[in-house]
Amino acid sequence: MPSLSYLLLAPFVGAFAITFLPREAKWAIRSTALLASLITFALSWAYITDFDLTQPGLQFVHHTEWNTRLGTSFTLGLDGFSYPMVLLATLLSFVALLASSVIKERVKGYYILVLLLESGMLGVFMAQDWSLFYVFWELTLIPLFFLIDRWGGKNRHGAALNFVLYTMGGSVFMLISLLVLFDAVPGHTFSMTAMAESGRTLPQHTQILIFLGLLVGFGVKMPIFPLHGWLPLAHVEAPSPISILLSGILLKMGSYGLIRAAGMLPDAVLALQDILAALAFVSIIYGGLLAWRHSDLKAMIAYSSVSHMGVVLLGIAALNLAGLHGALMQMVAHGLVAGSLFLLIGLLYERTHTRDVMDYSSLVRVMPRFAFFTTLAFIAAVSLPGTAGFVAELNVLIGGFARWSWVAALLTVGVLLSAAYAIRTISQLFTGPVRPGMHDVEDLRPGELIAAGTLTAGTLLLGFMPSPVLNLVNASATQLSNLFAL
Amino acid sequence: MLEHYAWLIPIFHWLAAGWIGVGYILNTNRGEAGERQTSLVALGAATGSFLLALVLALIAVWQGAPGHLILGDWFASGDYHLPISFSLDTIGLSLLLIVTLLVLLTIKFSVNYMHRERGFQRIFMLFCLFAGGMELIVMAGNALLVFVGWEIAGATSYLLIGYAIDRTTATKNAVRAFITNRVGDAGFILGIALSIFWLGSVEWPQIHVQAGKIETLAAGVVAGGFVIAALAKSAQLPFSPWIARALEGPTPSSAIFYGALMVHAGVILLIRLAPLLEQAPVVMISIAILGILTVLYGWLAGLTQSDVKSSLMFATTTQVGWMFFWCGMGWFTLAAWHLGLHAIWRTFQFLASPALVNQIDQATPPPPQWLLRWRLLYRASQQRFWVESLTDALLLRPTVSLARDVQYFDEQVVTRVVGLPAYTRSVSSLTQWETIQKRTAKTQTGAIGQGTGVAGKIMTWLANLLYWFESHLVLQGGGEGLQNNLHRIGALLERVEQLLTEPRYMIVLVVVTFVVIL
Repeated sequence: MPSLSYLLLAPFVGAFAITFLPREAKWAIRSTALLASLITFALSWAYITDFDLTQPGLQFVHHTEWNTRLGTSFTLGLDGFSYPMVLLATLLSFVALLASSVIKERVKGYYILVLLLESGMLGVFMAQDWSLFYVFWELTLIPLFFLIDRWGGKNRHGAALNFVLYTMGGSVFMLISLLVLFDAVPGHTFSMTAMAESGRTLPQHTQILIFLGLLVGFGVKMPIFPLHGWLPLAHVEAPSPISILLSGILLKMGSYGLIRAAGMLPDAVLALQDILAALAFVSIIYGGLLAWRHSDLKAMIAYSSVSHMGVVLLGIAALNLAGLHGALMQMVAHGLVAGSLFLLIGLLYERTHTRDVMDYSSLVRVMPRFAFFTTLAFIAAVSLPGTAGFVAELNVLIGGFARWSWVAALLTVGVLLSAAYAIRTISQLFTGPVRPGMHDVEDLRPGELIAAGTLTAGTLLLGFMPSPVLNLVNASATQLSNLFAL
Repeated sequence: MLEHYAWLIPIFHWLAAGWIGVGYILNTNRGEAGERQTSLVALGAATGSFLLALVLALIAVWQGAPGHLILGDWFASGDYHLPISFSLDTIGLSLLLIVTLLVLLTIKFSVNYMHRERGFQRIFMLFCLFAGGMELIVMAGNALLVFVGWEIAGATSYLLIGYAIDRTTATKNAVRAFITNRVGDAGFILGIALSIFWLGSVEWPQIHVQAGKIETLAAGVVAGGFVIAALAKSAQLPFSPWIARALEGPTPSSAIFYGALMVHAGVILLIRLAPLLEQAPVVMISIAILGILTVLYGWLAGLTQSDVKSSLMFATTTQVGWMFFWCGMGWFTLAAWHLGLHAIWRTFQFLASPALVNQIDQATPPPPQWLLRWRLLYRASQQRFWVESLTDALLLRPTVSLARDVQYFDEQVVTRVVGLPAYTRSVSSLTQWETIQKRTAKTQTGAIGQGTGVAGKIMTWLANLLYWFESHLVLQGGGEGLQNNLHRIGALLERVEQLLTEPRYMIVLVVVTFVVIL
């Protein structure tokens, strides 16, 4: 079994190799990047056979002392929460790279940055030491800033700066909280497990203060309702492959951190449970309504992400097994669905250079394959039965019902809203009279077909057979939910 | 060990169906040139399934039947889980063998019979789908999996009956068959739900064990649901008319599928439920009575039929009526034997029927003399006992008029309040298209973020409000505003910095420092 640090290193090595290639060798650069990310993807699946489904704790731990006086260490490990995220991250990185044929200029720098970003994201999900986690958390910002700022759309400078300012602002709160926690626990170590054990013993009001700081930090990333200001700008301006990564994985870093924080400060989460749920409902409805209001396709998907991540927050706030199952499932489902939506809309934009939904009509005649995958992706976004989102929302609904009984039915309002904008978009894109400008739009090419097909197949597969993911999460989720058993 | 691969039997067929379907979409097997490939795939799958079933049956003869097998969980949630299980007991295996054999023979027969027919690929895909569904009905180990097969078989037989999509009668009759079957499905779902609530499981063995522990009334209600499903599927009274209508299917081959195979599905369900039925004597008696009534109906109506397919269909109804009667009397083994023999015999007859028309050169034999003497009975037989008109009058017409009222309410009240669009963007008629071409009518595009109706208006208003909030406070206040503020603070600091660099302020600062220190 290869050590987890190889998984971290593989994209990094790819990026390093690209630096030696001449900048004109576009094909070589692209294939090196694809190869590196494919190796990472394969490597991440190598752990699946040895992953013990019954053990709630960490597995495949790699531990190296870093600074004993500060109590920091280089600890990597996987458990039921992080492993699905790692798999999702490697898959989506590969798909994003496949879709990166859009990028035509400054290719070398682009691929290096994307691979570094992948390395950073994997680090966030695998780090089992809060200091290391923070390092990787910040490390993802740097490539992303340049990727948006240099390869983005018209308003890219503003969007990139805005994104970094928001996230940095949030992570300052997170850092302060982590330092306070570090100070409050007796062991003086940043190790996640040790901090979690001593964090649980803190008095409630200390826990609440610390948790609020973490909530701001993770809430910006996730995003939770009032802290989502960066998201529409960044998603719209980023190049499409980066939008895939942003909504597919970067947002999950926030919810993943929140789950970790919940295990560390259970009394605080229990006290703030209703507030979290209220925020979740506001996010769901707010995001849904704004998605409905926007005619820019990318902005619409961006706001729908706010709505979908609200479901994740609701699942976490339910603090029971069904809710956590639903939250994790929704994270995976949204990663796949938002990934394929951004992929397809990006490919459409590349061909027609407009993102306004009103400019399109009757595309099904010229691009049947595109129509097929886009319709499936929107159907999955509404989380119809048979798609992964349905399993997720059902679990969240069950978990929410157990906590707040009928109030949880508000979740269905979100589903209705998502149906409103999804159906509207499908009918606008594909039906109606033929427009002169939309006569000869090229259909999906084979490579794009593979990328879209993989994500769609994943959504449907998990919709029909959700048990692999649920089994993966089960042990860790059971352990976490036992903390809150009344 | 091999019995753990029993699930491959229906999967073979479905893979073949998928192959044909995908091939048709990708344009690799269309037209006459693709017939060979299509038939080879379908035949290969059928042969594979048959051989696997044969091997399983031989092993069972040697070592005894494997019985109830649980292969794994379909899905599970909490303490409630649904297994994928198969009942490979003696009756399941022998029926499976018959079904796979008949499917193989029928597909083989259709290769030549359907040659150069329009929709060759379509019908072979439907055959494969249907075969998989039928095999699932026979071999599934719980009611839910049977229901899956039941629905697949029902849906594909609907498509087979409506094969000639350009003939109105074909599509109409397909709808009638489908609707009748949906009534039965309602009973099936009721049976499944009540089994989960009262018996705690839908696995056949558990149902058998638990059946003895519940009250007679409860057992009767559970069994009643399943029996309704069985009656509808097997075309027993009062659901009989659909099967005579189902003859619109293109060929004997599809007629075999629902005439000689699917029609027995109800009997198979009853045989599987035998221990439960035995707890409910009232249900047993009703089955027997309905069975014997169907026998009379099928026999008498069959006497006056003038074409070969209708006669065969009424004969089938009669024989299945006998099977229901045996089940009602509690002779389930007899019913099973009757089922197997009848399926084989009827398949042969259906296959031979088109040739029969050519071979026989005498006119259709007249109805027997005694029937001609009973004028009323003769009429009733010709009119097929008015069962169809009766159900139409009792069920269809009230439903239609109720639907009309509801539709009126829907159009006048609900649509306006909720704001459902009364039109779609797609062009529905040629004239509409022409007016659009002439630009006399604008296309109804419906602006983004504009809802109609009360709910839509509320949604629009709310979305506008949130949009204002988003653009003024979140984006400008938080996003761009943040940058503006930073710029402002930066400019301010720059001013301070500039001032500080000027010598007179520097001196003032130094003086102030000295004053403070001293």
